[in-house]
Amino acid sequence: MAQIFPRWTNKIPLIAALFILFFALTAIAFVWYFGSPRYTDVGYRPQQPIEFSHKLHAGDLGMDCRYCHYNIERSPTANLPPTSVCMNCHGIIGANSEKLIPLRDSWKNNSAIPWVRVHKTPDYAYFNHAVHLSAGIGCQSCHGRIDRMERVMQSQPLSMSWCLACHRNPDPQRRPADKITDMNWKPTVFPNEKLTSESEPKKVNPPTDCTGCHR
Amino acid sequence: MMKKNNQDRQWRSFREFAESGNNAHVEPSEFSDESFLKEHFPGAIESAGDFVSRRSFLSLMSASLALAGLAGCRRPVEKIIPYVIPPEEVIPGVPQYYATTMPFGLQSFGLIVETHEGRPTKIEGNKDHPSTRGLADPFILASILELYDPDRSQKVMNNGSVSDWSDFDSYWKIIFDTHLADRGKGLAVIGSSFNSPTLHHLRRRFLDTFPEAHWIAYEPISDENILRGVEAATGEPQLPEYSFDRARIILSLDCDFLGSETGAIKNAANFARSRYPDIESNAMNRLYCVEGNHSITGAMADHRLALPPSKVEIFLLMLIDGLKRLDLSLPAKIPSADITIEFDRKFVEVLAADLFANKNHALICAGKTQPPTVHALVCLLNSLLNPENELVRYNRLPYALIPDTVAFNSLMTQIKAGHISTLIMLDTNLAYCAPADIDFAQAVAGVRNKIHFGTYYDETAALSNWHLPAAHYLESWGDAVSIDGVRSVAQPLIAPLYGGRSVVEIAAQLAAGQPENGYEIVRRTWRGIIEDSFEFNWRKVLHDGFYSESTPNVARPDFTPLGKYLAAEPFSSAPDIRHGLELTFIQSPSTYDGRYANLSWLQELPDPVTKITWDNPARIGAALARNLDLRDGDMIAVNNQGAVLELPIIVTPGIADGVIVIELGYGRTAVGRVGNGVGFNTFRLRRSQDPYFVNGVAVAKTGGRYKLVCTQEHHSMKGRPLIRQADLAYFRSHPEFASEMVEHPPLKSLWKEPELTGDYQWGMVIDLNSCIGCGACTIACQSENNIPVVGKEGVARGREMHWIRVDRYFSGSADSPDMLFMPVPCQHCENAPCEQVCPVQATVHDHEGLNAMVYNRCVGTRYCSNNCPYKVRRFNFFNYTKSMPETLKMLQNPDVTVRSRGVMEKCTYCIQRINRAKISAKIENRRVSDGEILTACQQACPTNAITFGDISDSASRVSKMKSDPRNYELLAELNNRPRTSYLARIKNPNPALVDNHDTIPLQRQDERKSS
Repeated sequence: MAQIFPRWTNKIPLIAALFILFFALTAIAFVWYFGSPRYTDVGYRPQQPIEFSHKLHAGDLGMDCRYCHYNIERSPTANLPPTSVCMNCHGIIGANSEKLIPLRDSWKNNSAIPWVRVHKTPDYAYFNHAVHLSAGIGCQSCHGRIDRMERVMQSQPLSMSWCLACHRNPDPQRRPADKITDMNWKPTVFPNEKLTSESEPKKVNPPTDCTGCHR
Repeated sequence: MMKKNNQDRQWRSFREFAESGNNAHVEPSEFSDESFLKEHFPGAIESAGDFVSRRSFLSLMSASLALAGLAGCRRPVEKIIPYVIPPEEVIPGVPQYYATTMPFGLQSFGLIVETHEGRPTKIEGNKDHPSTRGLADPFILASILELYDPDRSQKVMNNGSVSDWSDFDSYWKIIFDTHLADRGKGLAVIGSSFNSPTLHHLRRRFLDTFPEAHWIAYEPISDENILRGVEAATGEPQLPEYSFDRARIILSLDCDFLGSETGAIKNAANFARSRYPDIESNAMNRLYCVEGNHSITGAMADHRLALPPSKVEIFLLMLIDGLKRLDLSLPAKIPSADITIEFDRKFVEVLAADLFANKNHALICAGKTQPPTVHALVCLLNSLLNPENELVRYNRLPYALIPDTVAFNSLMTQIKAGHISTLIMLDTNLAYCAPADIDFAQAVAGVRNKIHFGTYYDETAALSNWHLPAAHYLESWGDAVSIDGVRSVAQPLIAPLYGGRSVVEIAAQLAAGQPENGYEIVRRTWRGIIEDSFEFNWRKVLHDGFYSESTPNVARPDFTPLGKYLAAEPFSSAPDIRHGLELTFIQSPSTYDGRYANLSWLQELPDPVTKITWDNPARIGAALARNLDLRDGDMIAVNNQGAVLELPIIVTPGIADGVIVIELGYGRTAVGRVGNGVGFNTFRLRRSQDPYFVNGVAVAKTGGRYKLVCTQEHHSMKGRPLIRQADLAYFRSHPEFASEMVEHPPLKSLWKEPELTGDYQWGMVIDLNSCIGCGACTIACQSENNIPVVGKEGVARGREMHWIRVDRYFSGSADSPDMLFMPVPCQHCENAPCEQVCPVQATVHDHEGLNAMVYNRCVGTRYCSNNCPYKVRRFNFFNYTKSMPETLKMLQNPDVTVRSRGVMEKCTYCIQRINRAKISAKIENRRVSDGEILTACQQACPTNAITFGDISDSASRVSKMKSDPRNYELLAELNNRPRTSYLARIKNPNPALVDNHDTIPLQRQDERKSS
């Protein structure tokens, strides 16, 4: 009896299996990469109510981060500057600028400026700015080269594995206390450079337990 | 700052979506009569307003759903809202603490309130204030829930319709002017009692303006009897304050001084201090308790005599007889007790001898339910027993309005006679809590102008012409004097959420006709109190919470009036021998007199003794239950002189035979969604002649059954030595008795033991000798850790969420049992059984010995709860916080995750507080010091029974407690190695009153009996 199926059909299961495997791996890789915070969150660059340029303020003018974000050393949350801080300068500089209309409106009407949050840890993760600063972690480690950004974007994934990588080995990210806000400081200098004026660098011992961040 | 404010508004439910401004009226009303009419009879109701058809609704919804689905892929846009001008001293993210004062009748409590960016989230005692010394009770802790209660009255109401303050202002101006003309004739204010300089001045001013008007205070539960008794003895109403910390022998005459009496927080702290069982010294106190109810004070007693409250007076006379025989010379003529009551006479003899032998260290206190005569005699005895060591201080109340039943009754007579045309009810709910025979609603029906000022639109508001919403004490300026004479200011923590006015503002308006700013009124009073540099000292008072110059108004008691008083023979020594049972009324540990009925935390807090939640069954002793053939949940009909109430019973061992204990404060009908219809309104049984106890009550079993919900049933740990107790003598000869009580083979672990390499090793010790079972820890924990309530049905299914519960056990005979308390939070076992069974590693150990719960990993298998021998894990069967009103969300502690459905939770040792302390220690480059971290339960505990700290530091307080010989671990034989351990309970009975078996520890006795 003649064979109904030609000989090559014997290979169909194998080919099918290979295809399925290929698609499965592609799907996994796809989700792995495109579903991770490294893809979903890094590069998030929302439009802000005022086109505030960090490049101009922190980069070109060289203002210290803490002129505006003045509570970072005291509070778990890094504060955004109140309108009054902006008006310290912009009461005079660019007093008629069109770009600053929302700012002047805020000042005049006593209404807050609704900035869009860029860097966000989940609600169940309790991040504390103050303690990271005191441990010698610079702004740049988590926020990137803010001084080069016209509009702020997220440059690090801020995922748990990313946090833990540093918590397990914090020293490469640590810097002397007076270089916290310095965007041009090179982390490679450590540990040759002293962290503080004291001879022994402060032991930081960051928590790696769940209880460190989740309450 | 940092408030969430999603501009692309997310919605979770159709309801939420429909309630937004843009999409009003889209909610389907498919099953309402209106839509039925519309569908079947088109044209019948054309003008029924905007109506969206089912079809257009569905199309709108499907489009929205599709959009919502797409939006779900993006991360939600979150806004950060900075200040325009930052308030001084506010650092967003860092909580602030303000001192204020909570007025509570004649008492007041100095508090520290934690606020997060302007919203108060947690109340704590003020360490420097003598009224609390940093401690708290459940009412104080739960009062923050009242602040945010969405059921609080929010509008001025005029004859049932919404009005506003300006309408009331012009109305009151007219009434004010009318009464100005008639010198206040027919004008009366019935308020709650107060102890406040400002209110005192305003009341004076009111009575000066209207010389013929009345302003009296009525309180359903008050210290009036005590004040009248002391007045009889000394000529002036003064409030006694006892130094339990210096007393060696204490006799309580129906006096629940650890629970319901005035000054309970301070009493409890002092009592625990003198009760420390030292092996060497003889300092441990001994408490004799004579009471009808089985109170938490009775549970602490070394000797307890169950006696109907009406017989306490005779008991006291018998005791005086006994003391006379011991040559205690009494200045006044006191009759002998000629009626003998059936009880162990030896008890009185031994007690008299013990009191006499411990002269200068012996203290007698009587409860507020006892008649003035008892208090007068107690005053006398205390002064004779303590001639040198003044254990009782008598405090004058110069700023107080003392509740006055006589004045109240005579005013009610005037009201009934139609002499009162304007009645103002200030912060009082008389329609609910006035004695039944007065029939308040009927009595005031003829009063033309009835104005009610209160926190809720309650029973009294409903029968008033005007209802005015009261501001919460955390929203108002005010002041108060604590019972020990410390004057303090109450400052607002938040602007009134619901537009209420404060008591001070209303009182000023009553006195002056015009509304006035509360801040100005209080400052004006304080200009008279602060002697020099006003601004500086005023700011200091606000900062400290009290005026440090306050001199306690201690009176030097002079008992000359007592002789005259006793000569008139005020004794009721021929008590009602009417047959029948005795009814005794107690205040509710959950709702007080009903005022806290809408606070779900308190409703769900199990009663310390019965462990009942959400109810107030009548309590009867075991013997009476046998006689009447009653068991828990059986309905009875109680008939008190014609007033009949049907309510369920619960058998409570230790209640005096023939006594029915009735808890007040339930059965509210107009308080709010939480409290309406919960329990039974027992005020209907109360009569004005005998408000606290009454004889000759008839009881009949109705045959009905009622579902009582009790938390103890499903937390039974029967048959094992859980609470370990011994007598002082036995403890002296066997200091290690507690740890020796359980014998077990060497403990070997099957599991890999956790590495405990952290810088700190956290641990806790709970001293069972101090714990009075009050439940302050439970409420403090609930407030700190965002713990939801589950309601009566939830508790009935065993779903209550309390992270720390207080177990109550009885031991000994059913008629005179011992009551024992044991707080049980998560034990943080080093070899935690829960961790072994979690399939997703949602509960793991950290290096500092904490048993951590990772909510985000939890998939809700509940294996951990099943494997926990202590049953301390709690499961979120529903998303309890989802439907929470907006105002209640403001109460949540932002430092603690709000848990969702399907997640297990349990005590974390207040990990947020540990982390806060560790972070500030790290910033300052130091170690966390001992005592820097207080868990919420530890902070609130009025007896300081809970100690938390680093057990790796041998100098820490917790390590010292752990090395106490009384230290033992609960179920240590399971090799769980719990981090929480207990100190055994020690009793100090009088050797003259014990049989020899009492020298054996508690559980050994049980063993012997059962074998």
